[in-house]
Amino acid sequence: MAGWKTREILARGKRGNHMTLFTKDDCVLCEQIKKQFDLDAMDVQIEVLNGKDAGALAHLAWHRLVETARKRLPILVLDDSSSVDDFTHIERHLAARAQERGVAIQASAARAACDSGSCAL
Amino acid sequence: MGVVMPLKAEAREMTTREVAKADSTDMALFVRTSQEDMMGWDRQRIVDALLRETFLDRDTAEKISKEVEKIIQTGTVKTVTGPLIREMVNAKLLEMGLEEARRMHTRLGVPLYDVDQLLVQHNKENANVPHGPEATNLTLAEGIKKEYALLHVFTPDVADAHLLGDLHLHDLGFIDRPYCSGQSLEYIKKFGLNLPHALSMAKPAKHAEVLLAHMVKFAAALQSHFAGAIGWDAINLFFAPYLEELDDCAVRQLAQMLIYEFSQQAVARGGQAIFSDINIYWEVPKHFETVPAIGPGGVYTGKTYGEYESQAQRFAWALFEVYKEGDAAGRPFFFPKPLVHITEKFFKTEGHMDFLHHICEVAAVKGNTYFIFDRGETAKISECCRLSFKLEASDLEDAKEPWRMRYSALQNVTVNLPRLAYQAQGDDTKLFTLLTEKMQLAAKAHEQKKNFIGKLLAMGQNGPLSLLAMELDGQSYLRLHRCSYLIGMVGLNELVKVHLGQELHDSDRAMKFGLKVIAHMNIVCNKLAESMGMKFVLEQTPAESTAYRFAKLDLAHYPEQAAKTVQGNLAKNEVYYTNSTLYHVGATMNPITRVDREGLFHPLIEAGAITHVWLGEAQPDKEAIADFIVNVFRHTQNDQIAFSPEFTCCLECGKTSRGLSETCPHCGSEKVDGITRITGYFTKISSWNKGKLGELKERYRNTNKFAQA
Repeated sequence: MAGWKTREILARGKRGNHMTLFTKDDCVLCEQIKKQFDLDAMDVQIEVLNGKDAGALAHLAWHRLVETARKRLPILVLDDSSSVDDFTHIERHLAARAQERGVAIQASAARAACDSGSCAL
Repeated sequence: MGVVMPLKAEAREMTTREVAKADSTDMALFVRTSQEDMMGWDRQRIVDALLRETFLDRDTAEKISKEVEKIIQTGTVKTVTGPLIREMVNAKLLEMGLEEARRMHTRLGVPLYDVDQLLVQHNKENANVPHGPEATNLTLAEGIKKEYALLHVFTPDVADAHLLGDLHLHDLGFIDRPYCSGQSLEYIKKFGLNLPHALSMAKPAKHAEVLLAHMVKFAAALQSHFAGAIGWDAINLFFAPYLEELDDCAVRQLAQMLIYEFSQQAVARGGQAIFSDINIYWEVPKHFETVPAIGPGGVYTGKTYGEYESQAQRFAWALFEVYKEGDAAGRPFFFPKPLVHITEKFFKTEGHMDFLHHICEVAAVKGNTYFIFDRGETAKISECCRLSFKLEASDLEDAKEPWRMRYSALQNVTVNLPRLAYQAQGDDTKLFTLLTEKMQLAAKAHEQKKNFIGKLLAMGQNGPLSLLAMELDGQSYLRLHRCSYLIGMVGLNELVKVHLGQELHDSDRAMKFGLKVIAHMNIVCNKLAESMGMKFVLEQTPAESTAYRFAKLDLAHYPEQAAKTVQGNLAKNEVYYTNSTLYHVGATMNPITRVDREGLFHPLIEAGAITHVWLGEAQPDKEAIADFIVNVFRHTQNDQIAFSPEFTCCLECGKTSRGLSETCPHCGSEKVDGITRITGYFTKISSWNKGKLGELKERYRNTNKFAQA
C-alpha cells in the first residue's frame, strides 16, 4: 500500500529526463525566462496556461500546482517531478541544465517587475 | 340525444346550490370549474380563455369554441370538467397546427391515479423528505412547478435537454427560489428578527438562547425561500460574545439546544428538517480578528472577535461533545452538519491537536465531522453537500461588517458526461465539442433562471420573494449580481471508461484524461463567465437522484452502450453513474490513495468538492484519523473529506449498533433501518432511491488503513 511519501512519486508518474515550464502569455517573468534560455534545445517542455488549453491545465493539475500557479508563475517541474516556483531558483536550475546540455544562455537582464498580477494563473 | 346548454353569461354567476335547483332540462350540462364551482355551459368562456392566454385572433377562437361545443353536444355526458374542456380545446389547437397557442394554453396538473399513488407511496427523490401529508403537498406542488418551469421559464431547447437527460436542471420544483444560501449570524444579531410581513418583530437578542431561537426561525424562513442548504459562517465565533457569562454547563446546554433544534425542526419543505450547515473554526479567522464584536442587544461589546477566541473554542468543543453522544438513541445527528475549517492558522492556534483529536473521535464514532481544507490564504464558507464559496476581495471587505456576508448559488445544472462519450464514439474532438455545447446550454439555462428570479425579486416587498428583497443593511438580502451559477458533472468515471476503456482508478492515462475533461470544463466556465457576465463555477454534483436518473435515461436512449457502462445491478434496476469526479465507489483502494487522487480534481472545481471515506462498521482510532487529516492538509490538494460509518437502528428496542445488519444485534428484531451518508449527508437507508441502494451495495469500505498514514 502506498504511504504519503511513496504516493507522491506514484501520482506524479514515472521519472523522465525532461522538465516542464508552466507559463502564461502575458506573464513578464515567463517571457524573461524564455528570452534567457533556449528551452527547446534544453528539452524543456513549455506549457502555456492561456485559458484555452485544457491539456496544459490538466498537466498542471496532475502536478498539484493549480493553487501555486494561482499565486505565481512561471513554475518549473524538474525531471524528478519536483517543482520550483521561486524565480531565482528557476533560473539556477535552468542554467545548470543549459550547462549540462551545452546550450548557450542569454545574458540575464534585470529581473522584470510583475506589478500587474499577470504572473499568475 | 342532443344536450340543451344554457349559453347565458349569467350562468357563470350561479352557485352550486342554484345550479342544483335549476331546471334540469335547461341545465343539462354542468362544468366543474377549477374555482371549485359548478357552472352551466358557456362557450364564451373558451373564447375568453384563448384570447386571454394566447395570441389567437377572435375569429379563430370563436371557431375553436364552436367545434368543441359541437363535440360536446354530440356526447351524452351531463358533467364535464374545466380541465377536460381545456384538453379538448388543446386537441383542436394541435389539430389546427397552432402549437404555440397550445403551449400557452397548457393546463398543468396531475392525473388522478398519480395523486392516488402519491398519497400512499413514499417519494424517494430526496431522502431527506419524510413520508407524510406535507411531503405529498410538496411532491404535488413540485410536480406542477416543474412543468411550469419546463414550459414557461426555460426555452424548449433547454427543457428538452433536461427531459432527454443531456442535462439535469436541479430543483425545478423550486423554480421560484434560488438554490442555496450561506450567511452570517451577525445579520440577526444586528437587526433582530425583522422579517417582511411577519406577525411580530423581535429586537436583537439579549441572551444566547434567544439568539439561537432567532437563528432557527430565520433559518426556517430562509429554507422556504431557497431550494437547498442554509449555511452559517463561523457559528461558534459569532455566538462567543453571548457566552461570557455562561458556565461550561450552560454552554453545553446551548450546544445541545442548537443541534437538537436543527435536527428536529421538521418544518421545512415537505416536513423535512432544515438542510443546515454550521461552519466552525478553532482559531479566529484572520479576516475576523480585528472586527468589532456584536454582543447582546445588537450592540458592540468594545472588543474585537480576536478577543473571543477562548469563548468560541469553548462552544466549538461543546458542539462536538453533543455530536459525539448522538441523539437519545445514540444515532448520529443528521443536521446541522458541522464543517470544521482546517487552515494554516489552525495549526498555530493553541490546543489545536486536542481539538483535532476531539473532532476526529466524532468522525470515527458518529461520522458527523466534515473537514474543510483552506490552504494558504484561502478562506471559504461551505454548505450543502460540498458547496464552497471562496471569499474574494469584495467578500473580505464585507467581512469588516460581517452582517453583509451572504452567498448564494442561484441554480445548479449538471451535465451527463457518460452520454457525451456514447455520442463521441472515441473521437476526442467530438467529445470536447459536445461538452462545450452542453455547457453553453447549461449557461443558457442559468441565464433564464436568473431572469425569472430577477423579475420576482424586482417586485420587492409586494412580491413572492419579499424576504430576499428586504434591505435591512441597504442592499437586498439576495444580492443577485453576486450570485454564483453552478455547473456540475455526473459520471466522469464512466465517460473515461467508455472513451478509453478504463476507469479513473485503472491507470494514470485514464486519470490524466479525466483531468483534461474537468480542465476543459473549468476553461469553458471561465469563458462563459466572461462573455455572459455571470459567475459560472464548477461544482461536484451531489447527484443523489441525478446519478440514478441519468443512468436510467441512458439505458432507455443508449441501451447497448449504457448497459455495459452503468454501475449497479441492472437486473434489479439499481443502476447509477458514479457521482461527479469521484472514483468508482467499489474500487479497492486505501483511503490515502483515494483522497489524494480524487483531490487532484479539486483545485479545478472551484465551488466545492469532497472525498468520502466509507468506514462501514470500522471505527478507526482518533489519533489515526488526526494523522490522516494532517497529511491530507499538508500533502494533497483535497478540498474536503468526510468519514462515513454505518449504523443499524432497531425500530423495536430502539438501540443503535455499528454496521449494517438485517436484524438487530440486541433483540434480534427484523424491524431495523440503516443509517449512513447517502451523498453529502446522513439519512435513513429506507428512504434511498434504487440507484443509491445499488451504490451502497458496491461501496468499498475502508477498515483500519489509516494508521499507515
